[in-house]
Amino acid sequence: MKISENWLREFINPAADAHALAERLTLAGIEVTSVTDALPPLDRVMVGEVKSVLPHPDADKLNICQVEAGSGRLLQIVCGAPNVHAGIKAPVILPGGRLPDGSEIRKAKLRGMESEGMLCSAHELALTDDHLGLMVLPADTPVGKTLTAVLGGADKIMEIEVTPNRGDCLSVLGIARELGALYDQDLKIPDAKPIAAVIKDMLPVKVEAPEGCRAFAGRIIRDLNSRATTPLWLCERLRRSGVRPIHPVVDITQYVMLELGQPMHAYDCTHIEGGIVVRWARTGERIKLLEGSEPELDKNVLVIADHRRVLGLAGIMGGSGSAVQDGTVDIYLECAWFSPTAISGRSRRLGLQTEAGYRFERGVDLQGQLRAMERATRLLMEITGGKPGPVTVMEEPRRQPSPVRLRRARLEKLLGIAVPGNDVVRILSRLGMPPQAAADGWDVVPPGYRFDIEVEEDLVEEVGRIHGYNLIPSLQYPGSASMALLPEKRLDMRRLQETLVQRGYQEVITYSFVDPELQRRLTGQQGIALANPIAADLAEMRLSLWVGLVQTLRYNRNRQQARVRIFETGLRFILEHNDIKQENVIAGLITGPQYPLQWGLPDRPADFADLKGDVEALLALSGNLERLEVLPAPHPALHPSQSAQLWLEGTDLGWLGVLHPQIAKILDIPSAVVFELKLEPLLMGRLPHSREVSRFPPIRRDLAVVVDETVTAAQLLQAARASGGAVVQDLRIFDIYRGPGIDSRRKSVALGLILQDSSRTLTNEAADAVMAQVAERLRCELGATIRD
Amino acid sequence: MQHLDDLIREAHRRIDTSTTLVALNDVRVHYLGRKGVLTEQLKSLGALPAAERAGAGQYINDAKRLVNEALDRRKQVLEQTELDAKLTAQALDITLPGRGHEPGGLHPVTRLLARVQALFERMGFRMETGPEIEDEFHNFDALNFKLDHPARAAMDTFYLRDWPLLLRTHTSPVQIRAMLAYGAPIRVIAPGRTFRHDSDVTHTPMFHQVEGLLVDEGVSMAHLRGTLSLFLQHFFERDDLQLRFRPSYFPFVEPGAEVDIRCIFCDGGGCRICKQGGWLEVLGCGLVHPNVLRACKINPERYTGWAFGLGVERLGMLRYGISDMRMNFENDIRFLQQFR
Ligand SMILES: [Zn+2]
Repeated sequence: MKISENWLREFINPAADAHALAERLTLAGIEVTSVTDALPPLDRVMVGEVKSVLPHPDADKLNICQVEAGSGRLLQIVCGAPNVHAGIKAPVILPGGRLPDGSEIRKAKLRGMESEGMLCSAHELALTDDHLGLMVLPADTPVGKTLTAVLGGADKIMEIEVTPNRGDCLSVLGIARELGALYDQDLKIPDAKPIAAVIKDMLPVKVEAPEGCRAFAGRIIRDLNSRATTPLWLCERLRRSGVRPIHPVVDITQYVMLELGQPMHAYDCTHIEGGIVVRWARTGERIKLLEGSEPELDKNVLVIADHRRVLGLAGIMGGSGSAVQDGTVDIYLECAWFSPTAISGRSRRLGLQTEAGYRFERGVDLQGQLRAMERATRLLMEITGGKPGPVTVMEEPRRQPSPVRLRRARLEKLLGIAVPGNDVVRILSRLGMPPQAAADGWDVVPPGYRFDIEVEEDLVEEVGRIHGYNLIPSLQYPGSASMALLPEKRLDMRRLQETLVQRGYQEVITYSFVDPELQRRLTGQQGIALANPIAADLAEMRLSLWVGLVQTLRYNRNRQQARVRIFETGLRFILEHNDIKQENVIAGLITGPQYPLQWGLPDRPADFADLKGDVEALLALSGNLERLEVLPAPHPALHPSQSAQLWLEGTDLGWLGVLHPQIAKILDIPSAVVFELKLEPLLMGRLPHSREVSRFPPIRRDLAVVVDETVTAAQLLQAARASGGAVVQDLRIFDIYRGPGIDSRRKSVALGLILQDSSRTLTNEAADAVMAQVAERLRCELGATIRD
Repeated sequence: MQHLDDLIREAHRRIDTSTTLVALNDVRVHYLGRKGVLTEQLKSLGALPAAERAGAGQYINDAKRLVNEALDRRKQVLEQTELDAKLTAQALDITLPGRGHEPGGLHPVTRLLARVQALFERMGFRMETGPEIEDEFHNFDALNFKLDHPARAAMDTFYLRDWPLLLRTHTSPVQIRAMLAYGAPIRVIAPGRTFRHDSDVTHTPMFHQVEGLLVDEGVSMAHLRGTLSLFLQHFFERDDLQLRFRPSYFPFVEPGAEVDIRCIFCDGGGCRICKQGGWLEVLGCGLVHPNVLRACKINPERYTGWAFGLGVERLGMLRYGISDMRMNFENDIRFLQQFR
């Protein structure tokens, strides 16, 4: 909201400049985001009167004008504006002056004709965006005065952001009231004495929806001067408030709204049939609105209708059928109180954000209708003339709001400082809620414009903010010395993250909502859809973090990053048994060279086993690695024969595999290996328990076996471990060979065993026996032949 | 014995001029070997008269000892030289870069969250997390958002299509869950993802918040100010950091405030980042609204409390200079690797 300092000072005039007022308001919760000059520097810009216009002899679009601008002699000015003609008044910039954009105006010859200055448009003077030719000034504007003077002089515009609970501050009056409390000064409220009716005409008013319209005031005014124009001062006030002048009647209703915060509407009386009805719209009813659209209404929309049709959307916008226009002489003024519940959300739904709707949604003064009606009538009398009729008032009986108790002790307890009693009384009185003394404090009845005062704490804030939040000291709260639990079995997630970081992964954070198409491709499923996604490709909640990781891979590949190693932790959202499961997972993706380009390691692409090593490292942290089971299983995102499902003692932990080559091709991304694991089981570790380390020397024995390709490493290891017994301290595969000397459907696997007894030194003979046992088992169980 | 003296002199000369261990060994064999010159001398003692024999024997043995010692000394020198040469030949180019992985890094938001969390944990706050798909009760109703309040719509909430649920607009629902679970007194912080229907340079539809909550007996605005001052001073590592409280409105606190810090870039003189105002907005806070306490079965007459909420990406802007919020979620690896 834009507010003119000069306008504000008509209500209250503290001895402080605009910046100081802005600071004070900001620190009281009325945030002033900027203070700017209302007018650009209008150096040597005067009011001029065009006395004569002759076509330029050598240019079609130029005219030679004789202009009187107060110097006593006529200035010859060449002008190209289409709307220039003899008799109009317009701003003239004299030679030596500068336009707001900095360009200097000099005496010059234009196509051979002398030009002593320039007639200006509002756009050239940086006043508005209008490109409608010269800024035509009203006929009574005094010639020879500076434009700045006739526009009401220098002024500052404060841009104010009002929080949604403070609808009462959406007016000059409202801001003035805040300043009244801050500077402890009285307000000067403009005259709103009732204007006596001159005619008897009235329209019957029926409020059929009292829950939406608690008060309605209406008045007919006849015989307006249809030739009247909005005076310059009023146009300028509107301009300074960011409102475009349209028509004197509309401008006056806008002016009153800006000044008092009460929206009004004016109808052309001749287009109202029968009388006024305030009701809910009927489903399917339509209305053509002032801004051109014709929305279909439903029974949630409050309307103003006559006895035949809808005239306008209550509190939001009038219809074009009954709009005041050029030539209108009889009008009907409406000034009502619509409840926030009846207005809120409608303008948004219909796509109509209006100043009136904005104010009604936040709540306007319950008692402000008559004051606004009289203020508008008075301005109309001055500007357009006319014969006012009596004011019709329909009002729901008002329940006196119950007082809110403010306890002195509670005030001090909550603020942490004591505010003197007379300051409390002064502050609340200035805000329009004079408190009544009570036994332990005060009783306060909130005024009709404060919908945010409901409980004691609201009053604590009022006192606190006017007194000054920054007078509150800083104290440390000692509090209870309880200590949060620290279960040692539970791993800190930071350790998992750090492990991946040490293995060259970069953490990423991707959106929780993803592209449904990509998601379907990677999971074969449909995710939970948003009702109002911000974009079509962010429309579903992720079923897997892979969707975001693949997207990130694509993004970085498009930026020439060949080596991408990323991981993310976060929730995935899965439908399970007709319920939404929000599950914490950790997921990773690697592609490109396994190591950054370097001299000491071969440059080779990262593969399944690289990623599996990373996953095993994560499981090792919680001591769960030995219990990990890796089983081949198909997944829509993964290469059908390079895909594994991971299990931990019967619970499914997650997936690991190479991205399906077809998916990679469609997405135009390189081959990548991915994993996703549930976090909860990964974080469940155990308390370490110390065991004695054998003091006897270990023996290393190797065994090379040739087995069918179908025999898995897990089978070999399991059989070897089972047959070797307790002396097998460690068992590893250290080589796999395929090629010359080995049948093409078979492979040679080299096992390395560390044998050690915990109670005695293992003899060579005993070690040989163990190895023979292992070899025998592998031969019988897995069809292994032993290589020498 | 003139002859022997010459012999010894000659032996020393040959020892000192030996430059390899092999050559030195030849010298040893020549003098002290089984058929060495000095060994032969000893053997020839028998030819001497008995009276001279002992003296001559002594003399030859001394000579042998001296030669032997000289040989040992020379051997040590040559061995050291040889070792030195060998080690010199093993020189590495120690400027070659090391082998293996280069570490990746954590996301800046994770860094910031960890820092905020660590500071509050030092003050006895426990961390709580909660669901991102929330219901209206936890996200709005229990937080004193009235049904008809414009703030409810103005929050620009994401709703689910087929469920009466929404994406949490703040992490405040975690406070509700924590208060319902543990009651008062309580101190928690709730970090996490939040969602609002907004997208431009300063807004992303997803962002991160940390909310803090302290409920106990006798808690006032002064305690809120004290804790936040301490936290912000520690977070920015500026013990002269100035704060100011501006009244503001959040349905779940009353009185409510926004907290500004003196601009850390210009010390309040005015710059582009503080838009010449000299102050930077960092968080919103206030005393927990009695309706919220009541919704969480806590008696507001006995207990009072404060809550605050801060935007993590905003801290990233102030601390690391990430001015375009969208950078946080584009995940350009070159951008992310600056934060490690
Ligand atoms: Zn600054």
